[in-house]
Amino acid sequence: MSLLWLRVAVLLYGVAALSVLPAALYERPKWNKIAIPAAITGLLFHFVSLAEMLNAAHHRLPVDTHETQALLGLLLAAAFLLVYWRYRTVSLGVFVLPISFLLGLVPAFHPGQETTPFPQFHTGWIFLHIALLLAAYAALLLSLLASVLYLIQERSLKSKHAATGTSWLPPLETTDQIALRALLFGLPCMTAGLLIGSLIAQQTIGPSYFLDPKVLLSFAMWLAYVGMIYIRRHSGLRGRRAIYLSGFVFLVVLAVWSANQFSVVHRFTTP
Amino acid sequence: MSRNEHLVLIGVNHTTAPIEVRERLAIPSVRLADATRSLVHQPGVREGLILSTCNRVELLTLQEDGSASGANLLQFLHEYFAVTPSSLAPHLYEYREREAVRHLFRVASSLDSMVVGEPQILGQVKESYTIAREVGAVSGSLDSLIQRAFTVAKKVRSETQIGSNSVSIASVAVDLARKIFGTLRGKTVLLVGAGKMSELAARHLIQQGASNILVANRTLERAQRLAEQFHGQVISFDELYDRAAKADIVITSTGAPQKLFGRSHGQHFLQSRRNRPMFFIDIAVPRDVDPRMNEVEGCFVYDIDDLQQVAAANLADRSREAEAAETIVAREVDKYQQRMQSLDAAPAIRSLQEHAESLRQAELRRSATRLSGLTADQLAAVEALTRSLTNKFLHAPMLALREAAREGDARALMELEALYTNNFRGKVDSPDR
Repeated sequence: MSLLWLRVAVLLYGVAALSVLPAALYERPKWNKIAIPAAITGLLFHFVSLAEMLNAAHHRLPVDTHETQALLGLLLAAAFLLVYWRYRTVSLGVFVLPISFLLGLVPAFHPGQETTPFPQFHTGWIFLHIALLLAAYAALLLSLLASVLYLIQERSLKSKHAATGTSWLPPLETTDQIALRALLFGLPCMTAGLLIGSLIAQQTIGPSYFLDPKVLLSFAMWLAYVGMIYIRRHSGLRGRRAIYLSGFVFLVVLAVWSANQFSVVHRFTTP
Repeated sequence: MSRNEHLVLIGVNHTTAPIEVRERLAIPSVRLADATRSLVHQPGVREGLILSTCNRVELLTLQEDGSASGANLLQFLHEYFAVTPSSLAPHLYEYREREAVRHLFRVASSLDSMVVGEPQILGQVKESYTIAREVGAVSGSLDSLIQRAFTVAKKVRSETQIGSNSVSIASVAVDLARKIFGTLRGKTVLLVGAGKMSELAARHLIQQGASNILVANRTLERAQRLAEQFHGQVISFDELYDRAAKADIVITSTGAPQKLFGRSHGQHFLQSRRNRPMFFIDIAVPRDVDPRMNEVEGCFVYDIDDLQQVAAANLADRSREAEAAETIVAREVDKYQQRMQSLDAAPAIRSLQEHAESLRQAELRRSATRLSGLTADQLAAVEALTRSLTNKFLHAPMLALREAAREGDARALMELEALYTNNFRGKVDSPDR
């Protein structure tokens, strides 16, 4: 049943992703009446799907790569709605909602068969570890997208053609706030996620876990994340340079994500 | 609106009458209720509304059949304002029925305004409507027409971008500032030079929430006067470069022959502001700000030409949107007229149906003795048969009535009504005769 709810959620994300285009790009606010309810309902169905999955996983936590992607999609959709609620802008939805849709598409229609390596232990903590890290990734992605919007708006204002074509973009200070606040939200999530993962690894595998390339990359990612926030916070880095910095950290995140493929101890196994 | 009511609108506006004429007819809002009351006391006027703004004075009335004309309204203007009809005649326009509906929809949608798309006019129409309702001058058909005008105006606003872009230099500057800072609440504005244009721009920014005003001017008295006006603070030219970095928005309008701010100033300001953006509005000619400062990341420099270009582009956008808005208005006028005309056929159709039903009942009563031997089922069959026949006979005339109403063919409507109801009734009401 959780799969059915996930499929409904993905379809609703698709509807929201399509209807946000006229709302943002063509300044037709009445499309918001479709985009926002569709995103909210999609999020609810996605949440129900997740809750059912967890309920069924009292003894087993079937978190494969695809389902992890879907969870990232949920967090991104939630972040989009949060930004809409706080700043009344749907501009980020132009990017975020299609990503949510695509992240949910494969798990919903072609679910994987892999499971986490130690399903019998600490299912709640493993889930928390995954959810917190995904929240940090979502925050980073949101920050990167907000920085891109900042750059587009900045270029438009510099070119003196601000009147045409870019009125859908939020003001510079708003996108800057979104970018920075997303990062500030992501840091504690990433810290807590890594700490929980480390404690579980210490208990189940022992110190050898910390020599794994995936694990080492994860700590490098944390350092890059902290460094990025420090630089943005203290030099007021904005625009092009901020995108370069966020882009670099995002690449590290992608490296951490893909490191599952060559990690010895931190990878999904097929039962 | 029934066929014995007629919509008549007369008025003057910025295109037909000079200010000297408009100001003689202008009615202050405190006197609007009294004027509206007087208008509906004119002979033949059933309902009325007066719209009086700086650009137009219009009388919208619903008048009785036979008396419907602009002459009584002209008489009202003559009596109320003591102006001779002959002096007004060249400036007056008069619209009736469909054209009056169209004009009202265009006015409410700001398509007839001096600055197309300006939002104030809808509020002014609403104010006039509120007053007219309060004095009982609108209640029936005119009420629903005006309500419809509000809906059309809202539709035009939501389905087009007619009012979305600013077209004056000062409001363009405000729009640009909002694209940079979002809200202007708490932002600091530095006025360098105290010209009229910069004062106007500052006023717009303050209206949008900018609260800290710094004024630097070579003439101290002028700077002090301006600072007092905006509850700001005067800074001397000597401390200009030290204090400028505190300002989010800098408006320059000095007559200095050389540039006051160069690219290096921009870099320095941004550094001390930790890269928070800065917006330079350079209204001076020759310019006070080096245009190369715009190349500094975080500095946005707009001179008077840039602002004018944005305003012109916005105006062109509005014109394009106005075309779309005119289409919406034309469609809405059609819909309104059709609705009114369909409604107009309703009483005739109802009357025809009632009459046919009474004939059917009379015929059944007349044949009651002969039908008394029938069983209940057979009686039900007779009932169904007569009902079906009546409906079939009525189908064609009802269709014709609806069609005539939809086409707006008042003559055909009257003839059909007379043929199928009045005359028909007169001749066959008593079939026994």
